[in-house]
Amino acid sequence: MSIQGLSKRWLARHSVSGSDQRSAMLLLLPMFAVLFVVAVFPVVYSFWTSLFDIRLTRMSTPFVGFGNYLETFRDPGFWAAVARTVWFTVGSVLAIMIIATLMALLLNQEFRGRRILSTALLIPWAIPYVVDGLMWKWIYDSGYGALNGLLLQLGLIRHYLVWLGDTHKTLALIANAFVWKEVPLATILLLVTLKSISPDLYGAARVDGATLWQRFIHVTLPSLRPGLMLVAIYEAMMAVRHFDLFFILTEGGPADASHVLSWHIYVETFRKLSFGTGAAVAYLLALATFAMSYSIIRLLGKRL
Amino acid sequence: MSEVTKFGSRRRFLQFSAGAGLAATGMLGGLSRADAAAAVNLYTWSAGVDTVKRQAAAFTKETGLPVNYNNLPFAQYREAMVTKFVGQAPIDALWVSDGWLPEWADAGWLAPIDGYPDLIKYNNDVQSFCTESTRYKGHQYGMTYYTDYMAFLYDADMLSKAGISAPPASWDELVDQSLKIKKAGLSNYPLMLPMARESWLIEFMSSLVFSNGGRFVDDTGRAVMDDPQHGAVRSLQWIVDAVNKHHIVSPACVELGELNGFKAVASGNHAFALLPRYRIQALNDPRQSHVAGHIKQALMPAGANGSHATVAWMRMHAMSAAAGASKTRAANAARLIEAFGGKFDGQYAFQKAMFLDTGTAFGVKPLFNDPEVKAAYEKYGDFAIFRKQQDLARKKDVITRWFGEWDETNGTAWQAAVLGQSSAADALKTSARKWANLSKQA
Repeated sequence: MSIQGLSKRWLARHSVSGSDQRSAMLLLLPMFAVLFVVAVFPVVYSFWTSLFDIRLTRMSTPFVGFGNYLETFRDPGFWAAVARTVWFTVGSVLAIMIIATLMALLLNQEFRGRRILSTALLIPWAIPYVVDGLMWKWIYDSGYGALNGLLLQLGLIRHYLVWLGDTHKTLALIANAFVWKEVPLATILLLVTLKSISPDLYGAARVDGATLWQRFIHVTLPSLRPGLMLVAIYEAMMAVRHFDLFFILTEGGPADASHVLSWHIYVETFRKLSFGTGAAVAYLLALATFAMSYSIIRLLGKRL
Repeated sequence: MSEVTKFGSRRRFLQFSAGAGLAATGMLGGLSRADAAAAVNLYTWSAGVDTVKRQAAAFTKETGLPVNYNNLPFAQYREAMVTKFVGQAPIDALWVSDGWLPEWADAGWLAPIDGYPDLIKYNNDVQSFCTESTRYKGHQYGMTYYTDYMAFLYDADMLSKAGISAPPASWDELVDQSLKIKKAGLSNYPLMLPMARESWLIEFMSSLVFSNGGRFVDDTGRAVMDDPQHGAVRSLQWIVDAVNKHHIVSPACVELGELNGFKAVASGNHAFALLPRYRIQALNDPRQSHVAGHIKQALMPAGANGSHATVAWMRMHAMSAAAGASKTRAANAARLIEAFGGKFDGQYAFQKAMFLDTGTAFGVKPLFNDPEVKAAYEKYGDFAIFRKQQDLARKKDVITRWFGEWDETNGTAWQAAVLGQSSAADALKTSARKWANLSKQA
């Protein structure tokens, strides 16, 4: 059933006259047209593209059906990228949720300097990802980076360490830069949810003799669930398709240590100029994002 | 896979995609091809922009032909130009890197210039590796405007402090001298060798391989890079040992690109460096370098069975196939290419201007005898070594249509070897396997 069809049925059910219906449809048309061009068309067109073997440097563009998908599934590099993407997403989202919850709880209290802290918290959020990446590249640099300088001055290391060049640390360091940027938004979302919790609930819990921890577990956390779900879905979607930091900090390296799905799509599409395969992987990523969001809603939304 | 249904063509695909994108952003109607067609459309990457503009203005003054000059960042140049070719953007003359020539020529985007005597008459003046780099499948596709090579640079002051009287002549000697410098506490990692995954990686590796007497592929195009007798394995093993055994190269080299490597040398952290030769100008400029005046060039160290050879790259002016198909456009494009790649006002004006303005080298031999060029170079480098090394330079042996895709594999495989995750031999076997697969597909 098309959107127009649904609208017509709604208008008919609500006894709107024929000419009003036509006027309403006419007024809605520009929005439908924009939605079609910017939302529906790209989705359909990218799927269509994924069914062809399109290489810009080759004359023919043969139809291969689901060949690009099969080829992708047979590629061990793809599965390794999936594993890294899962690691990055789960680790980042968990860290964001824990830190943002703690920050929101802190900012929900009345204390001196709360406003300044709230404002300062927004700074990472206001910084573009490219700038964020360049800043962390300087911080992590093994020759002149601030991280080495700090650790050395604190006496925690004896000599400068290699950070981004170490395959065991790379993904965690990129996740750290991602978390730093994403925590402010998550904190604000959770803080808004916290503000909506009725103080009566805490009063009743106190009367029942609940401790601070018990109040958090039995009052705060259940009330936070809608906010947590929103944060989990949003941040998971951001993390799973994140590209900027990988591009700026490591370009998928060292070796393949940060070769995640978004980087895989970039390499296929823009380095190998293989638009068909790139579109296929992008479609798989979109489906995975949808499945993940649905799972989070199912998992966290049960008791909403 | 069957070729039952066609998408149409690459051009339709891009035009359709671009059309949809433009419609979405309301930009249709702003395009005017007629205006662009009146001028000679020149596309370059954003290097020496002022010099190019000056030469274009001189060309217009001389010929009355206006030049529609466009430049794009080098990092995005290949992708952007491919898109423009497929979308049939108006292009007459353009800069092409040697690495993209087979891909673009096979795609039918470039016109050979063999049929233009006014252009190929300059071949005798051009260094042979440059002319070789402009040829593909028996045709010449352009005129060089710039060439350079990977150079071995050293900090003479640091060597002197370590009691070393002359730079190393071999890779083994380089290890000995580096250990001596390290022991003297002058540098933690005396050799700066960038091994980041970027387009420079193949240049660094090729310089080591060539100086070790090696090849990546033989004359028939068969991969020999995994053959221990051909120098590539020996070269990568040397790097692995330099990082993990001798500790004379930082393990952070895998995250160090050419630009940051240059900055590290400029900050005085290293005694030796492999860098593009043109970097010597900035390294000896006190405004840009802490070691200004101390950086010198030596011939590339030689391997056990090798020589002082190094790798060179070449950039050229080429003509688009679309221009080549039109008599008038082709004639105008040829005049522009000659004005930039050949003689203008009786000399190789553009190449000389680029050298004087930006320090980038040239591929035409007569400029080596130009007193102005020599005097300019002697302010920051040794002109004799510059020329001697250029005479020993060779073009990359891996330039093919699938070079870009093959090089993606190298970044992963070679870095894995440097990080100790695989052996040098296995890393090059991976590269050779990929080469064989791509070669078969082609």
